[in-house]
Amino acid sequence: MQIKPKKPEPKKEAAPAAKPAPPPPQPEPEPPKEPDFDPKSITLEYSADQIEEFKEAFTLFDRTPTGEMKITYAQCGDMMRALGQNPTNAEVMKVLGKPRPEEMNTKMLDFETFLPMLQHISRSKNQGNFEDFVEGLRVFDKEGNGTIMGAELRHVLATLGERMTEDEVDRLMAGQEDANGCINYTSFVKHILSG
Amino acid sequence: MSRPTGGSVNDIARFLSSGGGPGSPTSSSSVFSAASQADWAAKRLVWVPSEKHGFESASIREERGDEVDVVLTDCQVKVTLSREEVQRMNPPRFSKVEDMADLTCLNEASVLHNLRERYYSGLIYTYSGLFCVVVNPYKNLPIYTESIVEMYRGKKRHEMPPHIYAISEAAYRSMLQDREDQSILCTGESGAGKTENTKKVIQYLAHVASSHKSGSLGRNKEAGELERQLLQANPILEAFGNAKTVKNDNSSRFGKFIRINFDVAGYIVGANIETYLLEKSRAIRQAKDERTFHIFYQLLCGATEETRADLLLGNADQYRFLTGGSIPVPGQSDSENFTQTMDSMAIMGFTAEESLSMLKVISAVLQFGNISFTKEKNHDQASMPDNTAAQKLCHLLGINVLEFTRAILTPRIKVGREYVQKAQTKEQADFAIEALAKATYERLFRWLVHRINRALDRRQRQGASFIGILDIAGFEIFQLNSFEQLCINYTNEKLQQLFNHTMFILEQEEYQREGIDWNFIDFGLDLQPCIDLIERPTHPPGVLALLDEECWFPRATDRTFVEKLSAEQGNHPKFFKSKQPRGEADFSIIHYAGKVDYKANDWLVKNMDPLNDNVASLLHQSSDHFVSELWKEVDRIVGLDQVSSGESSGPVAFGAAGLKTKKGMFRTVGQLYKESLTKLMATLRNTNPNFLRCIIPNHEKRAGKLAPHLVLDQLRCNGVLEGIRICRQGFPNRIPFQEFRQRYEILTPNAIPRTFMDGKQASELMISALELDHNLFRVGQSKVFFRAGVLAHLEEERDLKITDTIIRFQSAARGFLARKAFFKKQQQLSALRVMQRNCHAYLKLRNWQWWRLFTKVKPLLQVTRQDEEIQVREAELQKAKDKLTRLILKLFLDLKTRALEEEKNGLMEKLEEDEERAKEMSRQIQTLSQQVKQKSRRD
Repeated sequence: MQIKPKKPEPKKEAAPAAKPAPPPPQPEPEPPKEPDFDPKSITLEYSADQIEEFKEAFTLFDRTPTGEMKITYAQCGDMMRALGQNPTNAEVMKVLGKPRPEEMNTKMLDFETFLPMLQHISRSKNQGNFEDFVEGLRVFDKEGNGTIMGAELRHVLATLGERMTEDEVDRLMAGQEDANGCINYTSFVKHILSG
Repeated sequence: MSRPTGGSVNDIARFLSSGGGPGSPTSSSSVFSAASQADWAAKRLVWVPSEKHGFESASIREERGDEVDVVLTDCQVKVTLSREEVQRMNPPRFSKVEDMADLTCLNEASVLHNLRERYYSGLIYTYSGLFCVVVNPYKNLPIYTESIVEMYRGKKRHEMPPHIYAISEAAYRSMLQDREDQSILCTGESGAGKTENTKKVIQYLAHVASSHKSGSLGRNKEAGELERQLLQANPILEAFGNAKTVKNDNSSRFGKFIRINFDVAGYIVGANIETYLLEKSRAIRQAKDERTFHIFYQLLCGATEETRADLLLGNADQYRFLTGGSIPVPGQSDSENFTQTMDSMAIMGFTAEESLSMLKVISAVLQFGNISFTKEKNHDQASMPDNTAAQKLCHLLGINVLEFTRAILTPRIKVGREYVQKAQTKEQADFAIEALAKATYERLFRWLVHRINRALDRRQRQGASFIGILDIAGFEIFQLNSFEQLCINYTNEKLQQLFNHTMFILEQEEYQREGIDWNFIDFGLDLQPCIDLIERPTHPPGVLALLDEECWFPRATDRTFVEKLSAEQGNHPKFFKSKQPRGEADFSIIHYAGKVDYKANDWLVKNMDPLNDNVASLLHQSSDHFVSELWKEVDRIVGLDQVSSGESSGPVAFGAAGLKTKKGMFRTVGQLYKESLTKLMATLRNTNPNFLRCIIPNHEKRAGKLAPHLVLDQLRCNGVLEGIRICRQGFPNRIPFQEFRQRYEILTPNAIPRTFMDGKQASELMISALELDHNLFRVGQSKVFFRAGVLAHLEEERDLKITDTIIRFQSAARGFLARKAFFKKQQQLSALRVMQRNCHAYLKLRNWQWWRLFTKVKPLLQVTRQDEEIQVREAELQKAKDKLTRLILKLFLDLKTRALEEEKNGLMEKLEEDEERAKEMSRQIQTLSQQVKQKSRRD
């Protein structure tokens, strides 16, 4: 008894005319067409002392054999972080002009180019605060008792958003789990923000 | 939520619910894979049509007006589609939901996906609003045991995973609590599992409604018997009414409505079975690889030698009516089943005579087929050169073979006012034989149902209310469809109307309960035009009425019927006159499941179902009591006088003799069917209906395979998709306040004060913070109601928000790690610097003369101090020596004291002993001296 409707049901689309408008189309994951990073538009506001300090740090990252005062693109993010910023990977990529993955380890960056990038990143207001993070992690608090399973947190950090490597997660969470493998996320966030 | 725990039950529960969390999507809301969540949010996944899978997942790359660019997830191919072709995917939290009405993106793709995911996980039952959808697993699942029955007892629908038991329990509870009659409507294609599920309902009810062990002993025993008989009714009906078809090894070839009556206390007090549309033509002819009703093969394989002789049985390949000879059913033994059927009949209270008589009739039906006629050489008249088969037949049916032969070959027909002997052609005789065989089998089946009803009907106790279970084929849409399909589609149209109406009532109630103002449209009315087209008696007459009318018309044919129909109903919106040439469809009806093409061939014959009344009255007068009882109603059959000897148009033409027949003398098949359907609908309308939709997953009878297009067609036909469409008109997604707040509070930071606030108020504050259009939601008494899709939107925002926070947190964490590493590096660097400075200094120093002098002199400096040191050491040594001697002395003295002490103790003991002995001796002396004194005195 094969059921073979000859045609799709004709009234399918006819009636929902009275239907309310569907909810507004979903917002784009990224705001559309942000202007590219333009180093010329950046005015440096650092004092000479600061610049000296940065320079010193920069030399620490410089791995060129002859000390050319250059770092690879791949080092740029950690360079900024070392200087107290918390940029997202996306932000770092943006100031680098969205290089291709293979360029990260081949292209080099000198201190003078680096400074405006750092300046740009440090002006970014949206860095997230303690409350935001606690609220965000509360989503994974299944028991509602202020803790998250360490395994779950590992999973979240390693699979969501800008995924972290196993090694990064290991270093981050060393000594944070209690005997039951749970993490008090309030103190965890405090710990992270203290460093 | 209470879920039974503990070993075996838990194992079984695995088959019922979808894994870790408790079943309902509400409580498992936070249990979702973070990774898939991320995928969904980031990739903007959608469903796009796919030839192979029905739908496949893809992610949106770009939207341009009415066009959308997507990349297929599986093969990474880029495709451009129109916006209508793309269906939104539900967030992962809705994965394998138990009730598809909870889906926020209600579309065909999501429904199919959900059913498929659940099916692959062995979860065959899924709710879809009022419906319970079940997909045939084609294997035995351990979900029908008594312990599972116990798990479902007394539970509400939402407390347990979807199951036919949950439906049965709901019906039973509601019957007891509301004193309202219930019905459970199982529909679906052949092989979808209607009959199996019907049996499960009966099994459940027989279990729960008889296990109240409070009654007196006698009563219990009787109740037990009744339930046993109730359970046996199905095997018997199946033996006589089921057959192997290409699609289904145990296909019910009839529809049935089983009514189980309960008393006030909820005990089963009786049952009644009504059957519809037995496919009697199967008794005489079967398609390739199909079988006739099981009982024929059971009898041929299972009967004892004695019975075989009594019933004049041959082998399966000796019967013309068994088209394919003996075809075994895989995994089934006909002879074992025969024993079971006979046992069931015994339990049901059939006497040995009754059983034997039935088998005799079965043998007779087969025997009908072996009668063959030849055409006389000179004229058209039929003759029967070999009457062996006829003799056997007449023996079995208890009629005279000569009379039978005459009645078949030259029946008496009323012409005008006189009766004449009318010779029959071979075609007419063949037709008559087949019609008689079919009628005999149908009458036997009717008798059987009647007999079972007699056994199940216990008049002594009054039934208070009942649960009816309808097991009937769903919409049938073939390439070309005949009268039978019209009947079944007409039925389904009515059942769907019932469903739509029920849904309307229930929705209305829910909105009222929650105090929401909303005008729901009664979609039941949508189906009325089509129903009218079929059943309307006049102004203008519908299909059935016109067909009846045509049956009474002289010289009417199937053609004239179609012409009349087109003339009367040509303008009906649900009717289409086919413009195709002859041979294709004659007309089409727009059923709610789709357009159905009908071919009107043989409709007049099918509707009148004429019989050779000469033979019928012979059978009525049979010497065999059973046979004559089967044929006791012969006055209402369409006799030969209505059937002409038609020279022109085939074996049977109507009214050619120009006879005006009185209307109402007898009933047409259409009329009878319409009547029984009207009765059924009246019954159902007075019940609270529960809907079960059975789905066949593939046509290969294979487990674990789900053919997407086949399932989609069924979902369309059985109203699941239609139900969803209606749902979408309202506010289909409903979330309790508490859950709404818990899940979406992250979207409205600071909207709710930290102090306590009741759920409704909090939800209202959140909604106003979300700035939702008022048309998209309603706030009820306990829940927030949303239009379809709104939740997906919220869910998406929530995901973005969470992902954003996570990214920020990851940045902070990366910063933390980088700074820690940097700090370490700095420390290493400064340590390095210290070392460097020292080395540097040393290098300069080592050639400085003063330093060289110093290094030379330094060892010498130490020599001068040696004497002093020796002195000090010697003094120390002396002190130590003194101390040692003192210690040794003390030790020696100690030892000495201890030895003396011991000696002293020894002496003391000895002294005591001596004193003791002295005392003893003095006592002896005393006694002796006394004795001496006495002796001396005596002397």
